[in-house]
Amino acid sequence: MDLDLSAEQEAFRDEVRAWLAANVPVEPLPPSSTAEGFAAHREWERRLSEAGYAAISWPKVYGGRDADLLTAAIFAEEYARASGPARVNLLALGLAGPTIMAFGTDEQKRRWLPGILSADAIWCQGFSEPDAGSDLAALRTSAVREGESGDFYLVNGQKIWTSVGRFADWMFALVRTDREAPKHKGITFLMIDMRSPGIEVRPIVQINGDAGFAEVFLTDVRAPVANVVGAEHDGWRVAMTTLGFERGAGLGAHVRFSADVAELVGLVKAIGLEDDPLIRDQVARLYTETEVFKHNVYRTLTAMAKGRAIGPEASLNKLYWSEMEARIYETGMGALGPYGELTHKADAAVASDHWTHQYWYSRASLIYAGTSEIQKNIISERVLGLPKEGRFS
Amino acid sequence: MNFDFSEDQYALRDAARDFFAGESSPGYVRSTWESETARSPELWRKLAETGFVGLTVPEEHGGLGLDEVDLVLLLEEAGYAALPEPLLETTAIGVPLLREAGTEAQQKKWLPKVAGGEAVLTVQLVDAPFVVDAHIADLLLLERAGQLHAVPAARFSATLQPSMDGARRLFSVAAETGDDTRMTGGAPEAARAYDRGAAGAAALLNGVSQRLLDLSVAYVKDRQQFGRPVGSFQAVKHKLAETLLVTETAKAAAWYAAYAIATDAPDRSAAASIAKSYASDAQNKANAESLQVHGGIGFTWEHDLHLWLKRGKALEQAYGSATAHRARLAERLFA
Repeated sequence: MDLDLSAEQEAFRDEVRAWLAANVPVEPLPPSSTAEGFAAHREWERRLSEAGYAAISWPKVYGGRDADLLTAAIFAEEYARASGPARVNLLALGLAGPTIMAFGTDEQKRRWLPGILSADAIWCQGFSEPDAGSDLAALRTSAVREGESGDFYLVNGQKIWTSVGRFADWMFALVRTDREAPKHKGITFLMIDMRSPGIEVRPIVQINGDAGFAEVFLTDVRAPVANVVGAEHDGWRVAMTTLGFERGAGLGAHVRFSADVAELVGLVKAIGLEDDPLIRDQVARLYTETEVFKHNVYRTLTAMAKGRAIGPEASLNKLYWSEMEARIYETGMGALGPYGELTHKADAAVASDHWTHQYWYSRASLIYAGTSEIQKNIISERVLGLPKEGRFS
Repeated sequence: MNFDFSEDQYALRDAARDFFAGESSPGYVRSTWESETARSPELWRKLAETGFVGLTVPEEHGGLGLDEVDLVLLLEEAGYAALPEPLLETTAIGVPLLREAGTEAQQKKWLPKVAGGEAVLTVQLVDAPFVVDAHIADLLLLERAGQLHAVPAARFSATLQPSMDGARRLFSVAAETGDDTRMTGGAPEAARAYDRGAAGAAALLNGVSQRLLDLSVAYVKDRQQFGRPVGSFQAVKHKLAETLLVTETAKAAAWYAAYAIATDAPDRSAAASIAKSYASDAQNKANAESLQVHGGIGFTWEHDLHLWLKRGKALEQAYGSATAHRARLAERLFA
C-alpha cells in the first residue's frame, strides 16, 4: 500500500495543472443548452484537443497519449479542481470512439475518429426509448433494409433522454433489425448522421430548468448499411462492451463532492448554524462519505490497473456516489431552510443557485445510468448470488 | 499509487482465516459465554506461536516488527470469527503504546513477554469507563491526569460489569499508580493510542459485518416461503445489497486509517474517526438487517447469529461511537 504518486505522475499532474491554470476561462462559459453556449463549449473542446488533452486515454495511433488509468484519474482530478467547463463530447470520446476502435472497420476508424478527437463531430447516444429504460433491450426503433441492393436502412422510432441531442452531429444508436429474433438478438449498433432528413429533435426541459436532454424522433431516416458497427443483429454485445468503457468515467468526481462539502461548511457558517449539533453531525457524516468515496476510487483504480475486471462491482460505486450526492444537497437544502426556496434572482438569497439547482439534479443521479433499484438487483444477484425474482412474462 | 495489500499481507490474512476457523469456531465462542474467564490460555499461546500476538512487537524483542497495514486484515478476520481474545487491546493498541511511551525498562520487560504469549495487555484511554479483559491482563496501560502509566496486575483490582456480549468481559478498575508505573508520555500518546483503538475496532467491526452478511445470504438462499427462496424477493435482496455496500465501503475506510496511522500521515486522527464512525454505522445496518431477514429464528439464543449481533453492537460503542467520532470530525471542519 502506497498512496504517493510516482515522479512521472507528479510531473504530469504539474503540467496539467499549469496548463489548466493558464487556459480555463475565468468567466464560466454560457450554458451548453443554448446554441451560443454549445459553440463555446465546442471551441473549448478544440483547445483541449490541440493541447493533446482531449483524449489522453486513447491509443497514440489514434491521436491519444496511451495514458493508463491512474494518469487519466490524475487528469480528471486536476480538471475538476480547476473547475474546467463541462465536456460536451464525452460520449464520443468515452463511448463511441472506443467502440469504433474495438469493432469498427479501418474505413470507419478513418472516417469518424479524427472528427471525434478534434470536436468537429459531437456525438449523442441513442439508446433509451420511452418504453425501454431500465429494460433497454425492449427498444423498438426499427431499421429495415431498403434499396435495390439493400444498402441502406429506413429508421423509424423515438429516442429519449438524449444528452447534447439538440446540437450533436452524429448519434450512435441501437436499432431493431430483426423483429422475429429474441429481444437481445435482433439489435444492431448503427451510426446515424443527425443532419439526415426525417430527424426531429425536441428539447426536454428538466425540473431544474435546464434543457440538456432532448427527444429525437426518427421518421424514414436513411442510414447506410456501411454505418453499422460490428455485425448486423450483434448490437447488444457491442453495446454492452461500450457500456463497459463507461466504467472509467467520473474519475474526478470525488474532487467535486469534496468541494461541495467544503462549500457546505461555509454555507452553514454563513447562515449561523455552525453550533447546531445536528447540522454538525450531518456535515461530518457527508465529509466521512466523501473521504471514503475517494479511498474507494483509489481502491478500484488499483484493482483495474492490476488488470482485475470490474464487473457488477461498478454497481456498488454508482449506488454509493449517487446516494451520497443526493444527501449532500438534501443537507444543503435543510441548512438553507427558508432561503432554500429562493432562486438567485431574489435579493435576499444567501447562496448561489448551485444548491437548489444541484438538489434537483442529484435526484436524476438516482435514476440515470441504472436506477438505484436496478443497481441493488445487480448487486444482490451478481455479487451476492441471490436468486432472481419471479418475473412477469 | 497502490491502494492494495501485498502478497505477504494476503497470505497472512489467509493463514488467520484458516486458524480462526479451527480455533474460534462458533462452538468455541459460545462456550466462552459460559466459562469463568471467557478466555483460554492455550488459545492465547497458540495465537502467540503463529506470530499474531507479537505482530507489532519489534523484532529485537521477539516479534514480527510489522505495522497497522499488516495488522488490519488480521483484525478483520478476528472479527469475522468473533474471536474473543484481546488482540485489539494487546497487539493493536498496547504494544504500539508501549513502544511510543514506555520507558526502556518497561519495553524490555514487557514486549518480549507479549511476543512470547506470556503477557496480555489491556488499556484504558480517553475517559473509557470500562476495561476489557482486566481479569486476565498482566499489564494495564492507562492515562490519569495527562500522565500515562503501565500498571502490573498486582497493582490494580477489577470488578466485573456484566455486559451484552458474554465473550467480551468488561471491568471497572481501581489502579494504584505511582512514580514506578509512570510511562514517558501523556495525553498526545494516549490520543494516538485512541486512534489505533478506533481504527482497530473498525477493522474488527467490518469482519463482524461481513460475517452477519454471509450468514444472512446463506440463510435467505435456503429458507423457502411461498414456494421460493425468500432471498428472491426484492425487499429482502435490496436490504442485503445495501448492507454489502456499506460493509465494503467501511473496509476501504479502515484500510486507509491503518495506512494513515502506519505512515503517520497528517490526517491520521481524522482517518481513524472516519473509519470508526463509518464502520459503526455499517455495523448498525448489518446488525439490524441480518436479524430482520433471519426472521424469528435469529431472535433465539440457540442460533449462532446473536454471537455476532452482540459483538457488533458492543464494538459499535467501544472506542468512540459513530456520533462521538463525527463530533470530533466536526471540531476540525468548523474550526
